[in-house]
Amino acid sequence: MLTIDAVHTIIFQALKNVNDERGPDEQLDIGPTTILFGADAVLDSLSLVSVIVDVEAAVSESSGRDVVLTDDRAMSQEVSPFSDVSSLTAYILLLLSEPA
Amino acid sequence: MPITSIKGEFVNLRPLLVSDAELTYNWRHAARAKFLNQGAASVEQQASWIASRPASEFNFVIELKSGLAVGMVSLTGIDAINQHGESGRFLIGDEDAVKGAPVAVEAMKLIYELAFDQLGLIRICGTVAAENHLMIKWQKYLGMKEEGRLRNHLYLNGQFQDAIFLGLLVDEYRKVTLPRMNFLIATGRAKN
Repeated sequence: MLTIDAVHTIIFQALKNVNDERGPDEQLDIGPTTILFGADAVLDSLSLVSVIVDVEAAVSESSGRDVVLTDDRAMSQEVSPFSDVSSLTAYILLLLSEPA
Repeated sequence: MPITSIKGEFVNLRPLLVSDAELTYNWRHAARAKFLNQGAASVEQQASWIASRPASEFNFVIELKSGLAVGMVSLTGIDAINQHGESGRFLIGDEDAVKGAPVAVEAMKLIYELAFDQLGLIRICGTVAAENHLMIKWQKYLGMKEEGRLRNHLYLNGQFQDAIFLGLLVDEYRKVTLPRMNFLIATGRAKN
């Protein structure tokens, strides 16, 4: 079971990967409250996909189980998992708390 | 088929016009366009290029529902015999205007609907600069398969670089691409 800090580290790294593709004036501010997608978000859909792909891969590798973030369940959440870093973290921890 | 506007939920695609020359020239010369082929050297050349587009090409400006033009995308190289075409000239020129909204993904979805559903193509392909990592990752997530690597195919920013050749078949589009596109569009629709 990953800790909240471990999941944060994974998400932050995915956002750093996006920053690596951006210019100095386009860098994202990365933190637990970073808004990902939706109103006032920092990501466009290209960058969101990059974060999804990198986080899915890293969480799956770290937890030893396949984790899918983009399915009907994700869309049925009351708060979108992709609203901000905290929402995504909570959703990942929810998935990992359940039997594989 | 005459080129017409295509309406989506977050964006519309409208035909690229000569009057878009200055806007698209500025987009093509911004830092975000560094992975596209070098564009026209002047607004006048850009206007000439737009005016000379053959009727067989579908060149669009991506507009938000407010009417704000934010990018461009094309469907070209349409081969009616072999039923394939090329997606490309894909550029979000106004990044700030598209944050948090599924603009790029819906624009591409509208292109795929044109290609697969209206024109009856069975394959879409295209090249992406090898160093355009975000675009390659995005296209692969949305179902495109890497079919080859064209060595030193592009001369960008003063140096040659490889191009990645990507392709998508209609069956893959319906099975993989469309559900993922719909997910991303729904994510943009979701309330925070």
